[in-house]
Amino acid sequence: MNELADRIPDVETLAQRLAAVDYLVDEGLATSLFLGLRLPQPLLLEGEAGVGKTEAARALAAVLDTPLIRLQCYDGIDAAEALYEWNYPRQLLSIRLAEAGGESLREEDLFSADYLIRRPLLRALEHPGPRPAVLLIDEIDRADDDFEAFLLELLAEARVTIPELGTIEATHPPAIVLTSNRTRDLHDAVKRRCLYHWIDYPSPEREVEIVRRRVKGASATLAVQVADAVSRMRDSDVQKPPGIAEAIDWLAALDLLGIEVLDAAAVERTLGSVLKYEEDQEVIRAAGLDRLVQQP
Amino acid sequence: MSAFGVETVVLDLPAVTASFSRRLHDAGVPVTPDRPVAFASALGLVRPVSRRRLYWTARAIFVSDQAHVSAFDAVFRAVFGAGSDAASRQAPEAPKHFLPLERVSHGGAHDGDEADEVEIPRAVAGHEERLASRHFDALEPGELAQLYRLMARLELAPPPKRTRRYERGRRGSRIDLRRTLRGGLRSGGEPIRLAHRRRRVQRRRLVMLCDISGSMEPYARAYLQLLAAAAASGPSVEAFVFATRLTRLTRALRGRHPERAIQRAAATAPDWSSGTRIGDALKTFNDRHGRRGMARGAVVVIVSDGWELGEPERVEREMARLGRLAHRIVWVNPRVSADAFSVRAGGMAAALPHCDALVSGHSFAALGEVADAIAGADFERPELPEEEPEPWASATPVPGSSVAMPSGYGPSRGKTTPGWSLGR
Repeated sequence: MNELADRIPDVETLAQRLAAVDYLVDEGLATSLFLGLRLPQPLLLEGEAGVGKTEAARALAAVLDTPLIRLQCYDGIDAAEALYEWNYPRQLLSIRLAEAGGESLREEDLFSADYLIRRPLLRALEHPGPRPAVLLIDEIDRADDDFEAFLLELLAEARVTIPELGTIEATHPPAIVLTSNRTRDLHDAVKRRCLYHWIDYPSPEREVEIVRRRVKGASATLAVQVADAVSRMRDSDVQKPPGIAEAIDWLAALDLLGIEVLDAAAVERTLGSVLKYEEDQEVIRAAGLDRLVQQP
Repeated sequence: MSAFGVETVVLDLPAVTASFSRRLHDAGVPVTPDRPVAFASALGLVRPVSRRRLYWTARAIFVSDQAHVSAFDAVFRAVFGAGSDAASRQAPEAPKHFLPLERVSHGGAHDGDEADEVEIPRAVAGHEERLASRHFDALEPGELAQLYRLMARLELAPPPKRTRRYERGRRGSRIDLRRTLRGGLRSGGEPIRLAHRRRRVQRRRLVMLCDISGSMEPYARAYLQLLAAAAASGPSVEAFVFATRLTRLTRALRGRHPERAIQRAAATAPDWSSGTRIGDALKTFNDRHGRRGMARGAVVVIVSDGWELGEPERVEREMARLGRLAHRIVWVNPRVSADAFSVRAGGMAAALPHCDALVSGHSFAALGEVADAIAGADFERPELPEEEPEPWASATPVPGSSVAMPSGYGPSRGKTTPGWSLGR
């Protein structure tokens, strides 16, 4: 843990290092990430789609210079897909080979580390260090509550139990980041074990800075215009307000087309890279594309 | 010194932490005993050089839901003083107190003679039977409490769906290799008996949206009890109320004491007995919850009389969106039981093409139909009346009445059909 403390001594250092890998944080997120890393405690991130929840974990891994191990949750995910699975074809083959060679095979031989397929959670626990791996459990709300219950041991103790092998305890507990889109309430037991942070949309100035860092070479004027137009879209009556991810995509598209100043015609050409619903595009068109790019 | 601006704070931390946690708890932020401990170790790491740093540290530890942020901010301001932008950005909303119990009895006199027309669940007998057939708007406070016990017995069971999760089963589409091999070891490595896995079957989610506007006021308490009974019945139930805005009550309604849960829920929603904006409420639901997955494949129950202040076109549009997400939409309209009911009420007419069932649910006995509709019993698909002399009519208050009564709501003239009668 000392190496971690040396690398990330305080919140400011973490914020600076995150900025160095092009992930800009405000004080709230910086504090939460710092606490998650140093307490250590899993961090639950919520926020609108595209505000950079997943990106936070990626940036953290880059700062620590350790692997990012990602577990994408989905309806029906279970231990065999998240933690480990035995390599059955290989086990069957070994049984056959042993039979053919006249060898005796014991159960322990078949359920040894050789036959274990390591899924993301196990890989994160077995990470050799010296700094912890970053384990991203993405969209936890998509998994069902049984899976949440299964995660509890991991979240609280940084260890898991495999019946055939025993308990596996992490030597360097991973830094755990969970994200949720709030499609359902997470169980209190999970929330209790986690720090919590709600990521808001960034201020326009910060957003300009973020998109400029991501789309290198884009003109400053264009970045300001894009951030401004995106924030107007968020304030209007659209179903899916564009996130930072969409703002970055949009700026990249405009940049690629060689557009230097955002006008109504340019918006019309590239609207599909920022608004992904036909109804939303209609709403924005009806409000007038000119007004979207007006100077305040 | 600090990258985020410096503002020094001096505090007696153990004492402050203890009182801070207690006040948070009193303000409704769930604080478990381990949080103050975690807070102390967090402060050891972060060293709160500024009030803002202290704010973010405390918030990361104590808040575990965005809904608690405003309560947290208020307590933080009270204990540590202002100073955080984030803490002063949102002013906390003072919950209005809700006392529909006293008001319910003013609802309007009813003959209560519909008893012969409605089927009474077998479990209900004696005075409960009378209670079961009473119109919800004619109930006395004591009867409401009894009604809760009846409602808790009512099973609101949405139809099942197959999930993607597998469970062991005697038969099934997939072979469970793990168990097959384990069994095989017992017979000398020969997998003689194949073990199977099958798709697990689970109940669909039930989402209930209840109108608590002025025109629904006589029914509000009874339906809130229904929401509470449903929410207590299992984890796959979500409850919302709306009038001018949408409030999620799922968490408030959970708990072992129904009366406390109902009081908590009543305090949560700020817009009791105000106007109705069904379209806006549905839009909020679709945007915030429905589209993200809550309504997908769910049975959505909307309890409302369909009297809409906003544009009916908006109701129509949002119902269409909801219809694309949900498995079924059941509309419960207590006015349907009235003889003179017609679906000409603006919001109702706009919503109807997207409903799978329209039922009255105006008394406990009539809730049986609601349960059937939720379970997916076949109902004739509601149709719009042929002629519409007054399209998109809006709610007009009846003179001399404290509550806005739609015109279709009058004394009983002859036999009414339970469920929904679309006749003029």
